[in-house]
Amino acid sequence: MVKNITIFTTNTCGYCQMVKTYLKAKGMGYDEVNLDQTPARREEAHRLSGALTVPVTVVTKTDDSQEVIVGYNLAKLVPAVS
Amino acid sequence: MSNSTDKNQHDLVIIGAGPAALTAAIYTTREDIETVIYERGVIGGLAAVTDVIDNYPGFSDGVKGLDLAEDLRKQAERFGAKIELGEIKSIKDEGEFKRLTNEIGEDLLARSVLIATGSDYNRTGIAGEDKYYARGVHFCATCDGAFYRDKRLVVIGGGNSAVQETIFLTRFASHIDLLVRSNLKASDILIKELQPFIDSGKVTLNLGVTPKEIVGDDNGVNKVIGTLSDGKDKDFPTDGVFVFIGLKPNTQFLKDTSIKLNPQGFIITDSNLETSMPNVFAAGDVRSGATMQIASASGEGATAALKIRECLEGRLHSNEVKQLEVMP
Repeated sequence: MVKNITIFTTNTCGYCQMVKTYLKAKGMGYDEVNLDQTPARREEAHRLSGALTVPVTVVTKTDDSQEVIVGYNLAKLVPAVS
Repeated sequence: MSNSTDKNQHDLVIIGAGPAALTAAIYTTREDIETVIYERGVIGGLAAVTDVIDNYPGFSDGVKGLDLAEDLRKQAERFGAKIELGEIKSIKDEGEFKRLTNEIGEDLLARSVLIATGSDYNRTGIAGEDKYYARGVHFCATCDGAFYRDKRLVVIGGGNSAVQETIFLTRFASHIDLLVRSNLKASDILIKELQPFIDSGKVTLNLGVTPKEIVGDDNGVNKVIGTLSDGKDKDFPTDGVFVFIGLKPNTQFLKDTSIKLNPQGFIITDSNLETSMPNVFAAGDVRSGATMQIASASGEGATAALKIRECLEGRLHSNEVKQLEVMP
């Protein structure tokens, strides 16, 4: 079961928009960390994902385990949030 | 017109959701042609990941790619287009209907199909490109540029996208080496927009440089080795690399079908934008002869929609000898 979802985004990122569109379509809430507005959290996104890219979607389960999805990747996002 | 009764049976399935696809959907849904769009990536296609589009008619100050994509989506949905987030993996001709199979094995039946899957950026294929993908090698400046505030960058390419994205990346990077294999092929206006950044030293234009290898370590990329026109190698120190070296069509899913492709993989159509598979059309960047312009893609989407209407009304093939157009 999903406890919460956090998405790291930037203002101009089309793929970030798609992750948000998908979650909205599924009626799922999420927290957004906009790295243009909070550049200090870039390192956190990098540490979690190992990548210098957005979107980074962090799905925290009720047992506090986390799944990190890099990019707009439905093959990984769909099972992670279902 | 809608004749579709089964939920998996449609008048029109559009594969892709870029400007060609969304424009076509605006036209078909306004004519009451039941339309479903399948998109595996970003709604708006490459336009949605372009910072600013300056040459799309009707926007005197330009328009952000993401905003244009969002407005096109809303306009298509306002008239009833349905957008599914998923991927069509195959298409089979079964006469009146085409059978499309998506990524989870579901079948859809479509009386007509529009392929508008567009193109993606090519890769260089040089050493280090795959190894450092998303860890220093990138293909989307609007997504990943923010990670390079006050860092050095290399941009590879000399066309419109390379120059436009270089200009975008100047808002983040401390310095950009633009590596161009021959000469700049971007439009004059983009080159003019780039010039002040060259004059100020923010961008260094390196002509006649063929990228050879992207080098890094556990912390990421630290240089690109390029071969100069005299055959000597030169190091370009950098924290990241952005690659924009032309486009490849998204037609891999068509390779086992009867739809004819040109040698580069673009779809061959006739003057009605119909492919070699009856009632299957193609529009936009995926089509052989496409000009790779958003305005052209939208125009082709509108044309295809009108031809699809004729096709569904049984008027398209009445007196025609089908002749496919092979464009370079």
